Amino acid sequence: MRVYQCEDSLEGIFTAIYNTYEDNCDRMDTRISINDELFLFAEYIPVETDVDKALKVINTIKRRFGEEDYKRLCFALVSREPEKAQAVYRTVAKGLSKECRPGHLLDDLADDSVNLVFSLARATNNEYLHLMGFTRFAELQSGILYAKIGPKNDVLAFLMPHFADRFPIENFMIHDEKRNLYGVHPAGKDWYLMRGEDVELAESSLRVSDGEMEYQELFKYFCGKIVIEERRNLELQRSMLPLRFREYMAEFK
Amino acid sequence: MEWLATGMEMSLMDKLGILTDAAKYDVACTSSGVERKGNGRSIGNCVSGGICHSFSSDGRCISLLKILLSNECIYDCKYCINRCSNDVPRATFTPEEVCTLTMEFYRRNYIEGLFLSSGIIQNPTFTMELIYRTIWLLRNKYHFNGYVHVKAIPGADGELIQRTGYLVDRMSVNLELPTAEGLRTLAPNKHRKNILAPMRQIQNGIHENKNELVLYRNAPRFVGGGQATQMIIGATPETDYQIINVAESLYQKFELKRVFYSAFVKVNEDKNLPALPGGPPLLREHRLYQADWLLRFYGFAASELLDESRPYFNVMLDPKEDWAVRHLEKFPVEINRASYEMLLRVPGVGVKSARRIIAARRCGNLTFADLKKIGVVLKRALYFITCSGRMMYPTKLEEDYIVRNLTTEKDRIQFGSDGMTYKQMSLFDDGSFQRPVTMQEKLLSAVGQM
Repeated sequence: MRVYQCEDSLEGIFTAIYNTYEDNCDRMDTRISINDELFLFAEYIPVETDVDKALKVINTIKRRFGEEDYKRLCFALVSREPEKAQAVYRTVAKGLSKECRPGHLLDDLADDSVNLVFSLARATNNEYLHLMGFTRFAELQSGILYAKIGPKNDVLAFLMPHFADRFPIENFMIHDEKRNLYGVHPAGKDWYLMRGEDVELAESSLRVSDGEMEYQELFKYFCGKIVIEERRNLELQRSMLPLRFREYMAEFK
Repeated sequence: MEWLATGMEMSLMDKLGILTDAAKYDVACTSSGVERKGNGRSIGNCVSGGICHSFSSDGRCISLLKILLSNECIYDCKYCINRCSNDVPRATFTPEEVCTLTMEFYRRNYIEGLFLSSGIIQNPTFTMELIYRTIWLLRNKYHFNGYVHVKAIPGADGELIQRTGYLVDRMSVNLELPTAEGLRTLAPNKHRKNILAPMRQIQNGIHENKNELVLYRNAPRFVGGGQATQMIIGATPETDYQIINVAESLYQKFELKRVFYSAFVKVNEDKNLPALPGGPPLLREHRLYQADWLLRFYGFAASELLDESRPYFNVMLDPKEDWAVRHLEKFPVEINRASYEMLLRVPGVGVKSARRIIAARRCGNLTFADLKKIGVVLKRALYFITCSGRMMYPTKLEEDYIVRNLTTEKDRIQFGSDGMTYKQMSLFDDGSFQRPVTMQEKLLSAVGQM
């Protein structure tokens, strides 16, 4: 068996897929791994991430399986599940090996790899949809809107386009606490991601503006008032809004 | 602005409290149905699936800033907390206050947009004009591009409703009560005719607008998210059968996007209102929503679910299970061959899993393990399906047997605030009268004497 060891990123895994095809691998006897797992009698091949190779794979995937399925593969690839690289490789290789119309890559849910990719993509998508609603911005003294999130999967790159479309005239910033990643959107310009090490933020610059607390109070008051006491159902609330999101939300502070 | 004179000195916080309190019984509060990209110059976009921004402690979604413009209502509807004969604090927002609140909440991603309703100030037309002016300000001065849902006030001038329709994403007229008699007893100032007129007008407006949009792509959209309505369940003696028939005809004749049902919460004491010792009829509301889904997405007709002789939904079984056990001649269904329509009728199979089954069985025969992975709820479906001609377990295709098995699950959804579940009592309740088998009985049965 050959094990391709690549870094845990979209580009890394797509490069590894490119390399397996370059080396004419048998897909049943090849593995793509993003950690240092060890196998008996395996040959280890390190993968150097190469953006050009990754782009070629991305273009092939888009052409053969369509944008929608490409997006679902990306969703699966930002999941925190270590098995994701292998599952995506198997799924893509299986799709390429036969006739597969666009949009039908993830049809065969009886297949374990396809099923894993499907459920990872769904889990990430769910978290993305949750965070579209549950992200809370606070206005800083500089007028910048600042939000903090702590998602299980790396959804920041998907979240940014949504908010950039929604608040094109605002300066805003989303901080992924778990990965120490910043999404930055200057008003009227394109957004970009920054690693936490490259961002220098003084404590004082995160101080909220004068009106901020007032609006937080108003919203908290609103959330309390909208409740119909006769229908109180905390269990339902908890299943719709899991506790892990609440530490970042103004109305639960 | 003389009608504002009393409310001027009240703080924004107090007003928000009063007018949220007054609006909370409105249920038609989703943000779905419109997909609109941001325009790059102003704040806001819309996502067709809608976004829930928070959940209140009754488990309902907070998506829009749901407020009344005013609760100074001249009407005296018996079920309503804002009726003019009630002694409750009254307040009225200025249009600017509504706009600032909406914008500031929206910027912080607290809400998806605005839901604006109102008590009747002076007369319906005057109220509608206030709503129109507020929304106009929000769209044109504050350049808000997010979701807006307003109530059309029955009895208001048609021209105003038309103009408001071009500014909002969804409009709704509350049907309030399912039948005209109910309306007469509980809402003496409202008339069925007045409610249906604006509904028809909005429907026609949407139709004309569709034709316009074909010709001119950039023509303004009229109520792009469609219209909705809501009715109160359990305040008047209508049966479930009557209610879903009303809902069905609303979907067919008025092309509504949604009909919402709201379990009656008793906020006023009145001799015409029913006593509800068990709290609001939440289970009934839940069953109606389930049936509503069956009407809209599963191809059921109201007449299939209920009829004159059984006018209420089964308390123990959901409407689909109920239909299935009464039509056992259609089952079991072979998963690998059945049509999409038939798959949809199997309890435990939803729209998504039916689609996935259709896609997945092109690649090979499906087994029960595959169905589980696909997301079929096997504990409900197993009585009604076969995979490659086999059932999952040896089960009987008998109504009593299936009902018994479907209803003994421990993990049924719990209703009511105290976590109580509803259970039909019977003489032979299993579990309650069990005693251990004695040694002697074992011996007797072993030698065949028992």
